[in-house]
Amino acid sequence: MSHSHSHAPGESHTHSHGPPQPQPQPQALPTADPAFLAVIEADFRPVTLTVAADNTTLLCESHKLEKCSACNLDYVNLNRLSKILAQNPNLKAPPPGNVISKNLSQAVNNTKEEGNAFYKMHKHREALGRYTMAASIAVQRPPWESNQLMREELSTVISNRSASYFESEDYISALADAETVIAIRRNWSKGHFRKARALVGLGALDEAIEALQVGLAFEPNNAELSAYLQDVQGMMKGGRQS
Amino acid sequence: MASVLVPVAYIIVVFGSLFIISFYYRKQTASRIPEPYFTSHPERNTYVTLLQKTDPPTPEVVLKSALVRRAIADVLRVMRIREDKPALQTLLQKGSVGDDLLNSLLAAEKEMEAEIIEVMNEANSFVDGWGPIIFPTANEMIANEKMRVVFEQTNLLLIFTRKKIWSEGPEHP
Repeated sequence: MSHSHSHAPGESHTHSHGPPQPQPQPQALPTADPAFLAVIEADFRPVTLTVAADNTTLLCESHKLEKCSACNLDYVNLNRLSKILAQNPNLKAPPPGNVISKNLSQAVNNTKEEGNAFYKMHKHREALGRYTMAASIAVQRPPWESNQLMREELSTVISNRSASYFESEDYISALADAETVIAIRRNWSKGHFRKARALVGLGALDEAIEALQVGLAFEPNNAELSAYLQDVQGMMKGGRQS
Repeated sequence: MASVLVPVAYIIVVFGSLFIISFYYRKQTASRIPEPYFTSHPERNTYVTLLQKTDPPTPEVVLKSALVRRAIADVLRVMRIREDKPALQTLLQKGSVGDDLLNSLLAAEKEMEAEIIEVMNEANSFVDGWGPIIFPTANEMIANEKMRVVFEQTNLLLIFTRKKIWSEGPEHP
């Protein structure tokens, strides 16, 4: 438990007070207000659960399920985290977000580059396979790492996949991927650009213009979006006249 | 002849009874326990249940994961309280709700503070120094989970979009 940081006579403490040390001194955390602790304890209702034989998963007592709608219990995420911790026994607790696993970024990047190579050769089926694999690797990232990394990696890979679908003329899949990219990373111009392209491919020009305007609202000075907006508007005028 | 005491006594009785009634009313209002703002806290219940298991005792990885889930639930509640508070205050000013709801919210806020300190102490009991880290970890995990859910639902989104486009078929060239 946390130690009290008092220097009163009779209290000894384990650390010395020399020059500032590289790691932060453990601060004494305040103890909670006992009145509210009592409220918290009064609120306690025991849960019927059991630990599975593998010593890492929780299941509901009556049905032995991870996610049981009858008992209204969902331990999927808890079990996922506990499996990750069990696989890394030297990891005593989830570290702070800036401790990242470099191999993962490496793997994602390599697979993405392979996909890009296929894309340039117009071998879209292989490219799609690579991109999907890269995305599934990116999602395996330990959840406590800074989410900025996963956000960038995943959005880049899915954006490339959307481009690949577009080139293979599967506009609906391209649209779905573009929507995913926007949901993950709303202020990225590429996501909106891909969505607009997919919509143009489907022939929905007004929606494409809307998507481009939303993208421009996030990034007003983006040249790519403005140029494409003018193109699409030109297409619309051309379509109306013909 | 009415003496001068009668109006004085009258004033004393009137003001005295007003004072007594308001005194008891305020005492009663102050001691009334506000309704809980949140219903039960399942992650906290899970954690304490696991903690209390002795036969066999729960493995430490499971306990730590349960603590992290509890931290995540706390973070979500704090975010919700922070969002609801100005809205409730505006509603209270306009007179649309009574102040019971606001009292519940304030009580819940104080309870959350105690809960957060409690979680930090529990975290420190596992690994020294984990306490201050567990809440940023919880934040990252919330964002991570959102992204993962979006990604996994891309398939569903694909089916949904396909249906939508095909149902709108005749309008598009």
